[in-house]
Amino acid sequence: MDRSTSYILPSFLAAAFHALVIVALLLNWQRTPEVDVTPVEKYYIDAAIVSENPYKAKARKVAAAREKSRQQRIAAEKQAAAQRAREAQARKEKAREQEAAREAAEAAAKKKQVEQTAPDTAPAQDEASSPDSIDETERVRMEQSLALAVMDEQEYRRAVTDDEKAMAYVAQIRKEIVQNWSRPPSARNGMQALLKVHLVPTGEVVDVAVIESSGNDAFDRSATQAVEKARRFTVPTDSRQFERNFREFEVLFRPEDLRL
Amino acid sequence: MNEPISIIELVLKASIIVQVVMGLLMAASMTSWIMIFQRFFTLGTISREAIEFETEFWSGKDLRQIYKDLEEHEDTPIGLPAIFQAGFKEFSRLRTQSADPDRVMQNVHRAMRVSMSREEERLERHLAFLATVGSTSPYVGLFGTVWGIMNSFRGLATVNQASLAVVAPGISEALVATAMGLFAAIPAVIAYNRYAAQVEIIVNRFEAFTDEFSSILYRAINN
Repeated sequence: MDRSTSYILPSFLAAAFHALVIVALLLNWQRTPEVDVTPVEKYYIDAAIVSENPYKAKARKVAAAREKSRQQRIAAEKQAAAQRAREAQARKEKAREQEAAREAAEAAAKKKQVEQTAPDTAPAQDEASSPDSIDETERVRMEQSLALAVMDEQEYRRAVTDDEKAMAYVAQIRKEIVQNWSRPPSARNGMQALLKVHLVPTGEVVDVAVIESSGNDAFDRSATQAVEKARRFTVPTDSRQFERNFREFEVLFRPEDLRL
Repeated sequence: MNEPISIIELVLKASIIVQVVMGLLMAASMTSWIMIFQRFFTLGTISREAIEFETEFWSGKDLRQIYKDLEEHEDTPIGLPAIFQAGFKEFSRLRTQSADPDRVMQNVHRAMRVSMSREEERLERHLAFLATVGSTSPYVGLFGTVWGIMNSFRGLATVNQASLAVVAPGISEALVATAMGLFAAIPAVIAYNRYAAQVEIIVNRFEAFTDEFSSILYRAINN
């Protein structure tokens, strides 16, 4: 047989080669699709003006003042009550002394007149009744002050829920302002401008005034424009809340994310 | 849904034409690899035997003895021994019959040329096939891919929500055809180039031997 025409070994080799390739491909194919899909952490730049939340500060101030005044009032009332009690005591003692003096005088006179009379019960009566009346007035006052405290408490609680509601609006307003704020290139970290914004109940901006300038005109202007561009904010429909928090508020512009 | 599509599934789910193309390419690859191995062994054998024969030829051994050894060998000689055999057979036959050395030499030359062209044909066998596979199978694979993508986009037209997940398997399946085409073509092209160069070297060696052998016979006939 002609040696050059032997195809058996080449056929076998070719088949083996293809089988090898296919097996390798199958194994590899199963492995490759296991792509590691680790979620890329989202990176947000906090391009925030840090408005000092004027409402909250105000509410805190108001609450503090109210608390203080309440305590002062209570203290004053206590003091007054004590004063009154002291006065009453003093009066009583004075009265007693006077009484005693009078009695003594009367007794002396009666002695002198040699006219023995039984000791008068009136002073005793007076003595018994007067503390009672003081207690009464004291109690009424205490009740009143307690009622006042309860009212304060309720108001305070309502203010807190209002505060929470207002926070949402404040956040929304802040977002809108931040969106519209394009800082000038001259803005630097550490600059800050305080603006006073006046709104009408529909939420429209009627007036923007710079209260505290950053010292950089462009920066102040950009802040003013940010508010003016927003033109209209969402404000609570509750007029009481609007009047309290949103009729006029202050916004602090302060770039914090800049590198400069 | 996260389960990867297996390549077998990909091939089995392909449209008929793509499957035919893939089958064709697989067959082409298989055949071309058979040819590659077969050529590798054949060319190696021929080239080795040529060298061995040349060494034997130039060792100063009697040419008749060499010829007799070849005749007695059970295998039909291939390559250089075959050329020598054809030339020497013609030479010894004509030498006893005709006295004209020119005619003898002409016939010997012719016989060796015939034998050499037969050996050349033997060397170059299947190389044309490798060249064909190397040059056409990328196109065949590309055809399968184009057809598969065509189908997958046609399917996309009927879908409301066109998403990548709808077309991706079709395209992936279609691309398998191109991959197979390239897989068949690359070894074929490399093998073709390599074997063509090898064949040329061997043929050059044959030609040189033929010339040298002729001159030896010419000297012998003139003495």
